[in-house]
Amino acid sequence: MTLTALFSQMPWLTLLLALPLVGAILCMLADPEERTSHGLALVTTGLVFAIAVGLFVVYSNGGGGWLLQEDAAWITRYGIRYSLGMDGISLVMVLLTSFLLVIAALAAWPVRRYAPQFLGLLLLLETGLLGIFLAVDLVLFYLFWEIMLIPLFIMIGLWGGEQRRQAAIKFFLYALAGSLAMLIALISLYLLHGDQTGNYTFLLTELVNTELSLTQELWLFAGFMLAFAIKTPLVPFHTWLPDAHAESPESGVVDLTGLLIKTGIFGMIRIAFPLFPAATHQVLPLLGVLALVSLFHAAWGAYRQQDIKRLFAYSSISHVGLILLGLAAWQVTALEGSILLMLTNAVATGALFLLVAMIRQRTGTCQLGELSGLWGQAPNLSALFLLFALSSLGLPGLANFAGEILVLIGTFQTHPVWASLAMVAVVFAAAYILRLVQKVIWGPDCGARLLHDLTPREWLILAPLAILVIWLGLYPAPFLTPLHEPVQLLLGGLP
Amino acid sequence: MSETLLFLIPLLPLVCAVINMLFGTRLPRLFAETTAVAGVATSALLTLLFWDYSTGEGTRAVLGTWLSSGDLNVAFALNFDKLAAPMTLMVTGVATLIHLYAIGYMHNDRDYARFFGLLNLFVFAMLAIVLADNLLVLFLGWEGVGLCSYGLIGFWYSQTDNARAGTKAFLVTRVGDVFFGIALLWLFALTGTLSITEINAQAASISPGVVIVLTLLLLFGACGKSAQLPLMTWLADAMAGPTPVSALIHAATMVTAGVYLLCRMFPLVSLSAVGMTAITAIGALTALYAATCALAQREIKRVLAYSTMSQVGYMFMAVGAGTVSGAMFHLLTHAFFKALLFMAAGCVIHLAGDENDIFKMGGLARRSPPELFWVFLAGAICLAGVPMTGGFFSKDGVLLALFTHADPLYRIFWLIGVITALLTAFYTFRLVYLVFAGEPRSNAHPHAIPLLMRWPLWPLALLGLAGGLLNLPALAGGGEWLHHWFGDLAGRHVTASHDLEWQLIGLAIALVVIGWAAAHWRYRKFQGERDNALTRFLLEGWRADQLVDLMILRPFHAIAGFCWLGCDRTLFDGTLRGLARQAESSGNLLRRMTTGRLSSYLSAFAWGFLLILGWVLMALIGRGGGH
Repeated sequence: MTLTALFSQMPWLTLLLALPLVGAILCMLADPEERTSHGLALVTTGLVFAIAVGLFVVYSNGGGGWLLQEDAAWITRYGIRYSLGMDGISLVMVLLTSFLLVIAALAAWPVRRYAPQFLGLLLLLETGLLGIFLAVDLVLFYLFWEIMLIPLFIMIGLWGGEQRRQAAIKFFLYALAGSLAMLIALISLYLLHGDQTGNYTFLLTELVNTELSLTQELWLFAGFMLAFAIKTPLVPFHTWLPDAHAESPESGVVDLTGLLIKTGIFGMIRIAFPLFPAATHQVLPLLGVLALVSLFHAAWGAYRQQDIKRLFAYSSISHVGLILLGLAAWQVTALEGSILLMLTNAVATGALFLLVAMIRQRTGTCQLGELSGLWGQAPNLSALFLLFALSSLGLPGLANFAGEILVLIGTFQTHPVWASLAMVAVVFAAAYILRLVQKVIWGPDCGARLLHDLTPREWLILAPLAILVIWLGLYPAPFLTPLHEPVQLLLGGLP
Repeated sequence: MSETLLFLIPLLPLVCAVINMLFGTRLPRLFAETTAVAGVATSALLTLLFWDYSTGEGTRAVLGTWLSSGDLNVAFALNFDKLAAPMTLMVTGVATLIHLYAIGYMHNDRDYARFFGLLNLFVFAMLAIVLADNLLVLFLGWEGVGLCSYGLIGFWYSQTDNARAGTKAFLVTRVGDVFFGIALLWLFALTGTLSITEINAQAASISPGVVIVLTLLLLFGACGKSAQLPLMTWLADAMAGPTPVSALIHAATMVTAGVYLLCRMFPLVSLSAVGMTAITAIGALTALYAATCALAQREIKRVLAYSTMSQVGYMFMAVGAGTVSGAMFHLLTHAFFKALLFMAAGCVIHLAGDENDIFKMGGLARRSPPELFWVFLAGAICLAGVPMTGGFFSKDGVLLALFTHADPLYRIFWLIGVITALLTAFYTFRLVYLVFAGEPRSNAHPHAIPLLMRWPLWPLALLGLAGGLLNLPALAGGGEWLHHWFGDLAGRHVTASHDLEWQLIGLAIALVVIGWAAAHWRYRKFQGERDNALTRFLLEGWRADQLVDLMILRPFHAIAGFCWLGCDRTLFDGTLRGLARQAESSGNLLRRMTTGRLSSYLSAFAWGFLLILGWVLMALIGRGGGH
């Protein structure tokens, strides 16, 4: 057997999902006194990332449709299948997720309290996240959706800050409401499809062909969209996010991975839009308006925050507004920009969350009023803070701009007014980011405290992110190319 | 020689910036300084070396793809043409001199690596604007210069006011960028390209109404960077930065980027008479506004800042009057003499013992090295428009263009230009008298001026004084070299009868003499100035800041607060809390019923969730079994 044949026969997708799961179990069993679990987590995430890179190298020019597929019967009685598939969009998402998980494992190094459990949950979370990007069967998707939520809930509830219980419960309630809606919608769709064709299946590829009246479509669409909109989050379903970030564990690990719950947006692209084209067509204008509301509302909200983590939560909601605007514009460039913006936002805002964790470790606070003049004591840390903050405000040449300008250019083609309004929002983004920078790194030296600059471990965490931010800003082509054909397919599916 | 080598011009400063930013603190000071200067100086030399590439249609070079998606395909591409070449040479040349000056100026500052890193990065970004082949690369430079300006205004960040001035500059200019950004989106939607040349070529096919809006959008974009009304409030505060920064960014180069943008897009802009009138009107109003403000300023750098604003107003007027060559001519001479004035002002401040207030200076002519007085005076007479200096010819060209414009409305703009010229002469000589004449009004300890802060002034003085040769009108025996160099890009050729030209020149001379005489009479023996309502009003820049605060900042603050406290905290969370309280009371009921301890409503929800899940599954099994 040739090497290529061997390569193509390996169950790579299953491997991607199983590795973190096995790692999670091993972590939980590891000796809590040693750093065994830390090492295990690092090795596991590293392996997953290596596989993702390999797949990316091989398949990034693979065109539309499924690049890789795995399918097996699972619960035959209900037509539930273990069906995985990877297209260009999931390829890019998997690459980024697995990369950020390596960073997260590195950032989790200082966690000592119940470290095996913490890292085990982190790896479980990775399985959930990757599963969402790969699942083709809706039950499987739902399963991974829950696998993603539960570790997050526990991590905030057990390792979080003072108000962690309230924050965790709020998170849970919101997530529960969304999950329920989605569950009901997907079962109804299953039944409708089964009644219609006699073929009871949860396969996305089959369900697409269900014949639905517009009313049915709208209801089912609403069920899925509620889950996705809450998770994304879209105003007015967003107030759980600032609390969750403010109370999440100090290490910043959960904040970083929490950003990956942009899975909500992925869910729209993978499931809600293709399944319900007529409803999508009806609802897109509303989505566009809500996206604009999110964009402005959160940017303004961010301006008044004192807690840096809350500020970033709001900033993240604001960015989501722009991402959704790109989806609502329903145009090639805008859609590709949206997906790119998902990546860049996760990288830039994620890095900022990690930096806040580092600042908090040194100063004991992440309140704006209590910080000042960090540059004088920790210039490297401050410089990186500035770099990621500038990316976040959309400076050309850095990551976010690449996504933002594509969204704006694309949106202008179909909705000039939306795009022009969204352009105005960049001023507000600059306003809250510069206020933050002003208060944290400029100003008089913050007194007698002597803060050390970045440690080698912290460099190891931040340097790859910094390189990525510049890379994505100047040469996003490798990440855009795999998107071209899947996006065309998606657009082609709508009347 | 391959044209890709043209990329060395912008990229060398970038590379040097990166070197300084990454390793500067670990390198010996001399190395950091040498790197910074060498990068820029080499760029200047390369510009001369590659000069011939700019002839004809210019040379286009592509480095690689930046963004490609759908119909959009943007490359890192530059276009070295007749408009870009002189501008590139000016930027790199003046920047080299200012970098040398900065070595002397910053010789006591520990943070030299950050300073030179940012200064080099600025030169890169500015060159990106100048050389950009498409609007997105131009936008990259556009935002890049804004960033460097931000970082350098707030360079001495430990004083909160400095950093705040930087933030203000970034935000106000970004308001302009929004308009530029919208214009960019719109142009792409209309023409399907972002290439500047192609957009200009297709400009005629765009409907006239849209062209007007596009021109206005570009104009507002230009206003932000060039500190024109109504986006001018940041420039005076920007003087908080180190003096070399003021000379380079806030006098010679960045603030003229708006003018350059309008010149670049001239084939589009010039299509709409309304747009052109708006450009002229903005320029005229700003020129007058800033000149009146300069009359009352007390800080030497703020006088110069307002005068910059005012002079850039002239450049806008030139563009509006249809003469690109006139605008570029004034842009170039102004760059020379204003950079000179700022750097000389830096020396003056040094000599006065870090004193900024011209009311507390005086008598510097006797205490300073005499050369300083002479170079300062050279810059001042250029600014005032004393005949035969560079500033005289370029300003006169603008006024002539306004006067000879077919539209009678332009006579009003011309009149404003004339009044501004009078005010300019007055405040310039006021500055000279207050700084150099009479007796010292405070006994400061003068610092010695390093050699490197002195000699870069001479070339600039020479360039400022002789700058008229660039575009000497036929009347003075010249051949209008710049106008002919630009060729088809030059815009309207301003012609007038010799009689008219002589009359206007006579008027200009009269204005200078009147301005000088008034300043001489008022400030030669300065006894201190009495404050009155008018001077305070002018000193505070017509209270524009208070207006912005009242009309924009406070409402914004209130809206932002409403979004967070009103909506999120009260409305959304309040609703949720109400629901939670309901759940809790039912939980209490349950507790009484079961006598168990239900510490939260979490478990209630969990049970509810399982119940519904179970119910759904039952339904599913029923259905599944049925078929």
